[in-house]
Amino acid sequence: MSGIYNWMYYIASGGLILIGLYIVLVKTNLIKIVIGLNFIDTGINILLICIGYVRGRTAPIFSRPGISPANVVDPVPQALVLTAIVIGVAVLALALSIVIKVYQHNKTLNVTKIKGLKW
Amino acid sequence: MVNPSLLIAVPLAFAFSIPLFGLVSKKIGKYIPVVALLINVGISFILIPQILKKPAVVSIGGWSPPFCINLVVGPLGVFLATLISSIGLLVAIYAISYIKEEPTEKYHMLFLLLITGATGIVLTGDIFNLFVFFEILCISSYALVAYNKDKEGTEAAMKYLIQGSVGSSFVLIGIALLYGMFGTLNMADIASRVTSADPTFLFISLAFLITGFGIEAAIFPLNAWLPDAHSSAPSSISAILSGIAIKTGIYGVARMIYTIFNADGILTFIAFLGLLTLLIGEMSAFRQNDIKRLLAYSSIGQIGLIVFALGIATSLGVFAGLFQIVSHALAKALLFMAAGYMIYRVGSKSIDSLSGLGRKMPLTSFAFTIGSFSLIGLPPFAGFISKFSIVYAAIQVKKPIFLVFVVIALIATVIEAGYFFKVVQNLYFKEGKNVDNVTETSGYIIVPMIILVISIIVIGIHPQFITGLLKGAAGELLGRTGYIGWVLGGS
Repeated sequence: MSGIYNWMYYIASGGLILIGLYIVLVKTNLIKIVIGLNFIDTGINILLICIGYVRGRTAPIFSRPGISPANVVDPVPQALVLTAIVIGVAVLALALSIVIKVYQHNKTLNVTKIKGLKW
Repeated sequence: MVNPSLLIAVPLAFAFSIPLFGLVSKKIGKYIPVVALLINVGISFILIPQILKKPAVVSIGGWSPPFCINLVVGPLGVFLATLISSIGLLVAIYAISYIKEEPTEKYHMLFLLLITGATGIVLTGDIFNLFVFFEILCISSYALVAYNKDKEGTEAAMKYLIQGSVGSSFVLIGIALLYGMFGTLNMADIASRVTSADPTFLFISLAFLITGFGIEAAIFPLNAWLPDAHSSAPSSISAILSGIAIKTGIYGVARMIYTIFNADGILTFIAFLGLLTLLIGEMSAFRQNDIKRLLAYSSIGQIGLIVFALGIATSLGVFAGLFQIVSHALAKALLFMAAGYMIYRVGSKSIDSLSGLGRKMPLTSFAFTIGSFSLIGLPPFAGFISKFSIVYAAIQVKKPIFLVFVVIALIATVIEAGYFFKVVQNLYFKEGKNVDNVTETSGYIIVPMIILVISIIVIGIHPQFITGLLKGAAGELLGRTGYIGWVLGGS
């Protein structure tokens, strides 16, 4: 039981990544595919956070009283996640704007019906 | 000594200054990429002799490695940065009059960001920083593929975006696993400690990283986006994507395998994948009737050849692969530029409609012919030297499997010759139907094409201009202890 308790963040992040991949591979609606991409992003963010997390410790803000290097978590993954979130937002915004253009040209969001480039 | 971080800072700063200049005059925007990349080309040519003597490590923020984000400018980095800024400069000159669709200042801004991302990838020494630059490159190329906002462009950009962002997610998963194992993001630091980790986890993270970079490099079976994206983008963007963007994917794969993981065991598999990519790309190109799609599939084939050469893993093999990067970048940029303007004049992408252009557009057709002969590997062009060195290196390995590989690679070259000769024959020896009003290209369009033709011939006749740099770059890839020593000191 305690084994699952220790690994649950990794399980959750892996699960989110797999759900996202499943959505991207199986769903035919473009909006849903974009949502799937976002699922993958979120899963990776949780994976990064839980790599640096130590149970029972707090954020490394040294201006607060009572914080010493012995009781803080690793701050680097949190910085990475901030960057990754920003990148994810940029990709999401661009993806949705391209989806709008695709819809205007094809009048459908179903990827099986958009075949202008099939050879 | 010039600070190498200027190579990244200059295009980035100029990219964001374009909208500001746009407030003054709409016409200035298109000249700014030329100015920025001219500065970059100058800096990189000043850097080459200095870096060949002593590689530079630039630490940012005043901390010493491995505690800071650093740039590692070795021979490989400076070689690829020079290639990126030179090809970028020529494409920027081409784009001055080629890009007419409004809003042009956004095009030029995204173009400079793409160059920033590509230069950053090849210069950085920090693996997360590499991911960030990789995303800058990817996001700007998604947007540029969709720049014309037409039906094909948006559809191709959507495909590229979906596959590309899954790829960059895989890169990030690989980086997360590496950070979990080693607690550091510095590539040299990871490389020095890589033997201490569990091989299973190492293999998983290597697989994620290679898959992620492999999607950008379009290694078979991850190449589905490339023919659509390269054929639907504006031709100047096709030139930059084929010439530069996919090479950064190859750089990522090579850096991971050689420097960080030292994964000798998978190199034969990588060579095999490269060969498969080569064969699939050339065979698909053979049956295309759309000129840009043909060139896109030919890019996949050439990527396969480069990956094959890097998989040989002798110093001659890696040298030949890097040489092939140069000759492919020059030739494919030239081909896309020439084809782009022919399409613009004729109004159709089909190969049949290009018949008879040899008389109407002699300079452009001549440029196209030189580019395709160089790709096929005819002497005295640059492609001959690189292809010859790849074949020679593969035979030197003296393993029977590589002899079989060489035979297959040569068969693929024959297929390549088949379709390029078909196009060239169409240009010169067939009567055109609707080409009476077609006129020769003019002004800014023809200058970069002439420069590329001259450099292909000069490098083909005098390869010693670049062999010194390429040997240094191959030495950097194969000598990982040297790389670790530059960054962390000692050894």
